[in-house]
Formats: sequence, C-alpha cells, structure tokens
Amino acid sequence: MLKSLYIEGNTPLHRLGVKTKLVILLLTTIGLYIFAQPVVLAAAALITLTIYATLGMPWREAEIRLRPILITITILALVNAYVLGIEEATISTLRLLAILFLAASITATTTIAAFMEAVSELLRPFERLGLVRADDVSLAFGLVLRFVPEIFNHYNALKEAHQARGLPVKTARIIGPLIIMALKDADTIADAIDARGLRAH
Amino acid sequence: MTTKDIVLIALFAAIIVVLGFIPPVTISFIPVPITAQSMGVMLAGCIIGAKRGALAYVLVVLMVAIGLPVLSGGRGGLDVLIGPTGGYIAGWIVGTYVVGLIAERMVREGQKEVLQFTGFFVASIIGGIGVVYALGIAWLCFSTGTPVMTALYGNLAFIPGDIIKAVIATLAARAVLAGYPLLPQRAH
Repeated sequence: MLKSLYIEGNTPLHRLGVKTKLVILLLTTIGLYIFAQPVVLAAAALITLTIYATLGMPWREAEIRLRPILITITILALVNAYVLGIEEATISTLRLLAILFLAASITATTTIAAFMEAVSELLRPFERLGLVRADDVSLAFGLVLRFVPEIFNHYNALKEAHQARGLPVKTARIIGPLIIMALKDADTIADAIDARGLRAH
Repeated sequence: MTTKDIVLIALFAAIIVVLGFIPPVTISFIPVPITAQSMGVMLAGCIIGAKRGALAYVLVVLMVAIGLPVLSGGRGGLDVLIGPTGGYIAGWIVGTYVVGLIAERMVREGQKEVLQFTGFFVASIIGGIGVVYALGIAWLCFSTGTPVMTALYGNLAFIPGDIIKAVIATLAARAVLAGYPLLPQRAH
C-alpha cells in the first residue's frame, strides 16, 4: 500500500551518500537564487532534467510523479507572466523546474533505509540535549507503517456498512467513527509495547 | 512522553495518510475538489491536542521527505516539500499546534455542547485555515516571486471548501470528545 518512490538502479546518483545528495540539493537551491540569470537557470534545468530522465524510470511513471506539481508550476508561471512580466516569470519558473527535477531525482535514488539512517544521525544532537529519543522516532515510524493498512480496512468496513444499509457514503458521516475505531486501541497497543519492554532504558 | 502518547501520534499520522486515500469530494458551487487530508490539521489539533497533533504531522512530513507517497493523490518526495506548495505542508505542523492550543484552552468536558462546538470551530478556522495559509502563501511568494496579494486572491478559491472542512472536523472532534475523550489529558 505504501510503496516507496525509490527506483532500483546504479546511476552515479544512486551511489552517492544520502547526506551528500541533500547538501547538493541545498547548495543548488541557494546557488540558483544567487545566479538568477535565465541562461544559467535554463542550463541548470536542462542538466537536472537529464539526470531525472536517465534514472531508468519508465517514461510514464516519471511523468505521473511530477504531473501535479508541474501543473501548479505552469499555473503560477502564467499568473506571474501576467502580473510580473515575461522575464521574471521565466526566471522563477526555470529555477523551480531545476530544483524540482533534482529533488525528484534524489527521492528516486535513495532508499527509505538510507533516509532513515540520515534522520537518526540528524536527531543525535537533539537526543544529546534530551529533546527527543531517536528510538522513539523509529518506533513511531514503524507503528505508522503498521497502522495505515489497518485503518484503511476500518474505512472500508464503515463504507460497506453504509452501502449495505443503502446510505450514501459521506466523508462527514464516516470520519468520527473512523477516528474512534482507530484510537480506541491505543491503550492496548501501548500496554503491549510496555509489556515487551520495547522502550526500556 | 508516555508510550500511549507515541501510539496516539502514530495512529493519528496513519489516519492522516488514510484520509489521503479517500476520494475527494466535489461540490458543484466550489471550483476546487475537497480532499479530506488537509482536514487532518483540524482533526489532529482538536482531538489529540497541540503537542501530539503537531508531532503526528511531523511524522507525516518525515514520510513525505523520505519518499513515501503518503499525500493525497499518491504524491510524496523531496520535490513536493521544496516545490512552490511546500509551505502549506510545513504549515500543517504549525497549524495543528495552533489548533491544539486553542482547542485545549476553549474546550472542556462537561461544558455546554454549544461552547464545545464553538471552541473546535474557532480553533479549526484560526489554526487550520489562517496559520496554514499564512505559511503556505509566504513560501509560495518567496519561491516564485508571485506578489502576495495575487497569491491571496488565488487562495480565496479554497476558502469555501476549507470552511466546510472546519464544520466536518468540528462535528467529528465533538463526537470523539463525547465517545473517547483524549484532548483533556495532554501529552507529557
């Protein structure tokens, strides 16, 4: 149900470490705000598009992933062209596209496990300050992945119950029972976790 | 933070993800389809409170960042967060916190029903619409250069749908408060 956006492959971007990739994304983003000439931005967009297109993703999949955000960018480009003029609109649109293709490429070439490792490393200083416990974060994360299919089943059960009684399925009517069904197990689950000593120090 | 708090945070994050799977509602007089997912801000704040609600959204945003397609329409990945509408997603975290703060202060068990409905509705409007829009528009204008007033006008199209969401969230939050109260016992 929750299929990762990672795409199997062995491109240079696949081989780079996740932290390197995130630093590249950050520096590129900052760089494209500093060097805001249309030529530079067009070149950057072309390069990142090439990277994105050569990751080994089926063309259709590559297009479906970016479609919603490309529609948003197109609408904003048209609005900006009308309000700010063609030049400003070109600059901001090219910059957005360049960053977008790079970010999507990093998402497609990094596994969940690699990302999680980076996350717990990022949390370590906060853990030392006593603000957060990295183990709790991974516990919560694992629980979400476990709960999503379950709650989706609750939703389907409620939907079928409505249909069986000839009632139209309305979000407004389903949402209250859905949340109560989902949350009422919280005590049992928490007890089960504590009974197993999963949060023991 | 007790184990139960962590479980509630995870359960709510999962609910938010599932809300993204529910087919969007289209209402004839509103130009934008209503997705259930952004209603999660109001629901999380009103039902599990400021801290736990905001942390549920932190989890969701973390899932988006590491490439899980948990947003409505199967969207996800760094590109969504860094894109022009990424500010709305960051706004969900802050918005939920504000919804929770207001709801925790305005709503109590054993209060008159009208007061509970009012509290949840006010919290949903201020945190779920006001705060989310403010951060969303700020990032949109910064990343695209669109003038603030233009972005503000564009956002007006979403207001009717969001008010309907606030009404639904209010009814649901009040139903949960009556059936399984969690808001009064705040996170530690």
